[in-house]
Amino acid sequence: MPSASLVFQSVVLGVLLGGLYALLAAGLTLYFGVMRVVMIAHSAFLILAAYLAWYAHREIGVDPLLTLFVTVPLFFAAGVVMQRLLLTRLRPATLTMMSVLLTFSVALVIEGLLGYAFSGTQRRIRLGYSSASIEFFGARIAVVKLIAFGMAALALLGLYVLMKRSRFGQALRATIQHPDAARLLGIDTDRIAGYGFGLGLATAAVGGTALSLDTTIYPSLHWHWIGPLMAIIVVGGLGSVPGAAIAAMTLGMLQSLLQLELSTTWAQTVFYVALFATLAVRPQGFFGGRLAQRF
Amino acid sequence: MSRTHRTRRTHGGIAAGTLALVLVTSGCISGSGSGSGDSADDPIVIGVSLPLTGDFSEPGKGVERGYKAWAKIVNDNGGLLGRKVELKILDDQSNADRVVSDYEQLIGRDEVDLVFGPFSTRLVVPSARVAEEYGMLFVEPAGAAPEVFQQGFKNLFYAAPAVANDHYNHLAEYILAMPEGDRPKTVAYAAMDDPFAQGTANGLKDKLEKGGVKTVADEVYPPNTTDFGNIAAKIADSKADMVVGGTQYQDGVNLIVALQQLDYQPKMAAFSTAPTEPEFAKAIGNKTEGILAPTGYTQKADYPSNKEFVEKYTEQFGKAPEEDEANAYTTGQVVAAAVEAAKCASQDPDCQKKLVEWLRGNTVETVVGPLKWDDKGRPQSAHMIQQWVGGQIQIVLPDAQKEADLIYPKPKW
Repeated sequence: MPSASLVFQSVVLGVLLGGLYALLAAGLTLYFGVMRVVMIAHSAFLILAAYLAWYAHREIGVDPLLTLFVTVPLFFAAGVVMQRLLLTRLRPATLTMMSVLLTFSVALVIEGLLGYAFSGTQRRIRLGYSSASIEFFGARIAVVKLIAFGMAALALLGLYVLMKRSRFGQALRATIQHPDAARLLGIDTDRIAGYGFGLGLATAAVGGTALSLDTTIYPSLHWHWIGPLMAIIVVGGLGSVPGAAIAAMTLGMLQSLLQLELSTTWAQTVFYVALFATLAVRPQGFFGGRLAQRF
Repeated sequence: MSRTHRTRRTHGGIAAGTLALVLVTSGCISGSGSGSGDSADDPIVIGVSLPLTGDFSEPGKGVERGYKAWAKIVNDNGGLLGRKVELKILDDQSNADRVVSDYEQLIGRDEVDLVFGPFSTRLVVPSARVAEEYGMLFVEPAGAAPEVFQQGFKNLFYAAPAVANDHYNHLAEYILAMPEGDRPKTVAYAAMDDPFAQGTANGLKDKLEKGGVKTVADEVYPPNTTDFGNIAAKIADSKADMVVGGTQYQDGVNLIVALQQLDYQPKMAAFSTAPTEPEFAKAIGNKTEGILAPTGYTQKADYPSNKEFVEKYTEQFGKAPEEDEANAYTTGQVVAAAVEAAKCASQDPDCQKKLVEWLRGNTVETVVGPLKWDDKGRPQSAHMIQQWVGGQIQIVLPDAQKEADLIYPKPKW
């Protein structure tokens, strides 16, 4: 039986990990919500952002956090371009299916280019504060993990405020809920969909930078992430941002706690067990609204 | 579709090119009359197949440099048995089928006098089988995993100080020789799921457990693990006196940083491979003091032939040799010792038998120390133990080689 302090430490690690999952899953579910696109390349962009942070830090010595000022607008623009030039060309009838293939190939291209430019060697940013930690009721929290969690929380909050409070957010939600009705009300749903896609990629930029602070990166790492993220958005209910966040926190925590008794490999299976269970018992997901039920 | 075709055609092109090259080279050699007897003017031709492209190309090229350095040094010193040595190196593209046909060609058609082994277990096992069929002595520079020695090979010798499970032997002896009250009482192990990395940690675990040191945590993680937070949390919670990592490079760095984040302060910390890499200190923010690591080779070791090797190698290649190069050089030294003792170097079965028998019963002085082998070809030494002392990594065990005293307990990191 693990000691109380170890359980508490694992809970802390689970929360920190869940926060990052939440941000990444939010982006992924947004693509699906806005345009029924399954974005396999989401985690590839995540790793790309991490590489850009690592590269900037190695070459010009800037703190990885500063790269956000470049990567977030860059990824937003890339998202808009990708949606306008590639995804709108898919036939609406087979959009969801074909988007899997299309974004799969985008993921392969990114992985290949990263391998070509930086080789397959594992990389890690060397920060002066990478081993610093603070005490929190007997558990230790690494400063880098806390920063990553803070970034994820801020980005999620920003996303929430944007969706709920701004006119753009309203238009985006209208597009998610009923594209035809949104068009009737004069919303340019194509443009909104492009921005929605850009927004999703921008979350990948934030997530990737957060990730680069405390883990090793290598070009094929994104395959390691996409599975759990897909499972999270299905459990949360496709298209539901709050659902994705809650499912991410829950599953991240479960993964962390399961590692107490099981090996790293087995703890990872919690995502897939949850995925099967959800599809069997409640295929629309646990938090998805009306939209999820339609799929 | 057309892309697959093009790729295939390129492969074909490369294969044809290599074949042509091989034909030309082998043509030259048979033209000069190699393999037609032991005339004193003929060079001794040594056949090797190495992974110069593909998965193992990086270490493969290291081994190639080691072999070339050996050939140059031997020739500069007047050759072997008064004859020059000549290497005939083929590229097996890190492919196990290819390595088999390479050695068949080298031995059967090119009639090389001797062979050296390729790099890594995956290629050593199939090529050793070919050498065994032809009754050739097979000394190899890499392939420390247990399966190499479980095939019943009679001609195989591993030219390095120790197999994976014996890397920590000096440290185990040192710990068990400490007074009961002082020595670490509990140990936490974490090892990568890889035969080599896990072998190093398990070897130490077996010995310490037999000596009564308790195992309080034993974690195994997959090779691509990037987040070590939870593994580190378990180790920290066990409050073990000592932590042992069966690590390669990056996982070792990640594990150490994760342990530091949890402010876990063991009295002794040992990790395989990672601490001996040049990048290590920077990677963990220079908090290296007291970290232990086994090593099979160091440029500083003062075995007589090592000075010559480091000096001449550096002259030839512009930088100091690492472990792959050293193990290749060791292979050369081992074969050379056998040749000098048996006074022959040819495919003649009697000669090859004499070479094998001599190595079975004798010790060879090499750049990694004196080597001798058991009947399966396992070397009977152990790795030296290094420790980070005063900001640099220094040999602390065994006593005969040490540059600094082992620090125990380890300072805080």
